[in-house]
Amino acid sequence: MTKIILAFDDVLEKFSKWGLVSSLFIILILAVSSIVLRWMGSSPMWLEPLTRHLVFLSAFFGGSLATSKNVHIRVDLLSKLIEMTKSRALIWIHHNLLALFCFVTCAFLMKASYDFFIVEREFGAPAFLDIHSSWLVGIIPFGIGLIALRFFNLLILGLLNGVPSEHNRV
Amino acid sequence: MSIIAYSSILFIALLGAPIFAVMAALAMTAFYFSGIELSAVAVEIYRLASAPTILTIPLFTFAGYVLAESKAPVRLLRLSNAFLGWMPGGTAIICIFICAFFTAFTGASGVTIIALGGLLYPILLKEGYSERFSLGLITTCGSLGLLFPPSLPIILYGIIAKVDIDQLFLAGILPGVILMSVLGGYSIFKARKLPKKEHRFSLTEMKAACWEARYELPLPIFVLGGIYGGFVTATEASALSAFYVLVVNVFCTRDLSLTKDIPKVIVDSLTLVGAILLILCCALGLTNYLVDEEVPMKILEAMRTFITNKYLFLFVLNMFLLVVGCLMDIFSAIIVVVPLIIPIAEQFGVNPLHLAIIFLTNLEIGYITPPVGINLFISSFRFNKSVLELYKVSIPFLILMLFALAIITYIPWLTLLWFTP
Repeated sequence: MTKIILAFDDVLEKFSKWGLVSSLFIILILAVSSIVLRWMGSSPMWLEPLTRHLVFLSAFFGGSLATSKNVHIRVDLLSKLIEMTKSRALIWIHHNLLALFCFVTCAFLMKASYDFFIVEREFGAPAFLDIHSSWLVGIIPFGIGLIALRFFNLLILGLLNGVPSEHNRV
Repeated sequence: MSIIAYSSILFIALLGAPIFAVMAALAMTAFYFSGIELSAVAVEIYRLASAPTILTIPLFTFAGYVLAESKAPVRLLRLSNAFLGWMPGGTAIICIFICAFFTAFTGASGVTIIALGGLLYPILLKEGYSERFSLGLITTCGSLGLLFPPSLPIILYGIIAKVDIDQLFLAGILPGVILMSVLGGYSIFKARKLPKKEHRFSLTEMKAACWEARYELPLPIFVLGGIYGGFVTATEASALSAFYVLVVNVFCTRDLSLTKDIPKVIVDSLTLVGAILLILCCALGLTNYLVDEEVPMKILEAMRTFITNKYLFLFVLNMFLLVVGCLMDIFSAIIVVVPLIIPIAEQFGVNPLHLAIIFLTNLEIGYITPPVGINLFISSFRFNKSVLELYKVSIPFLILMLFALAIITYIPWLTLLWFTP
């Protein structure tokens, strides 16, 4: 079970990394092209919203990697105190409690954003480059879902294997 | 019931849950108890995709990380040494200049201390500065350029407060110089007992250092000249800076490899950006809910009973923001606190640009304020010193920064001189 979860998490990690790297290269090319085209007197209307949505998408890829690297921004005074106690039981409970909270929150948020996606599919319209607005809105359930999966993996690994190493804690 | 739910979420937040999850949970709970569909939170999240300046955040951060990973710090160190090394306290002043430059580009994310600390710390010690002074100076300088363009907190503040980012960039320049000058003055004072220096002013070395740093020198001109010359917008300046820094470091100086180093830099920089944007996404719902419920106005009404004028308000604001800066990360603080204080400050007649600079200066000081100023932990990790030791060494610098904060707060002209007719 642990091996399966680790392998699955590795796939998500690579997917997020490649998503992030390719997004940034595309964003950079589009942004620079937009400036050059403007100087040449032509400025396609779709360039700017497409770039903004790529940044939006990359926020979720970055969030997925922040989850696996344990670098989310937090108030960590109590976490540090718990670490200092060196009590394995306390650290284990702390990790799993936070992982569970984050997973449940992300799951609810994914459901809420999926509902928004469904509404947009029914009442939305093509936004730019003939892309339907529901696909753009769909970035949210996709991105939050990706992060929810990362927290789910951390939770299961924590429950199965006891105290996780420092890098794998929430 | 709602009190139990909110208390539980706040307890989890204190235990160290990621801020984005706390914001999302608070927003969903608030919407649920108000009888609003939870999908409204997602609608608020999606608003981020229509923020016109959102592009500046990943691109300026990426540019800063590329600079930090390349050999630019070494080149800039030589350049600063050539220009300032001969002065009394020159080495410490070099440290102040370089850290300010890098923090402006990396957004005070701790990268400055990590990237430059190892370089500057031994040089300061070699020059005869005490370990306490050197540690304190580097720790403080880790967030020093935060008021200079194109710093990430300024951009984020502009997005949240709906204040023009170009104007914010200008507004921060003189207060930023004040902070640097205060630290510079202290460094010169501390240098008076150091052994006489061998550094001599050399035009040849100056020319050589300028030539070596020829690719980095135009960057601030690109950003400031481009924006204020009317050639590019802040968003376009971020794209050009990122593209320029990438091309220079990969193809001209060949400090970084396009296939080996750049993907790593992208992952490192955009992981931070992702963490910030996620908080921004999730907080949009919560802060809008608080504003809709007129929470700022209720706070204002309560404050009016004991705060009667602008100056007292600014004093209380500074005290409040210092506490916020001690407890919260700068990005979360901007996202959560700014929408609440803007209407209140407006009522007391505080200019939005002045408020922005006061806010950011306070949070800059928060980076070195015990017990949880993030620079203290980064320095503790980087220099292998106990956090308690860092608390001690940061105190003189903290007092100096508070002095500079008082100047910035009570002389609004320093911020607004560019905008007075």
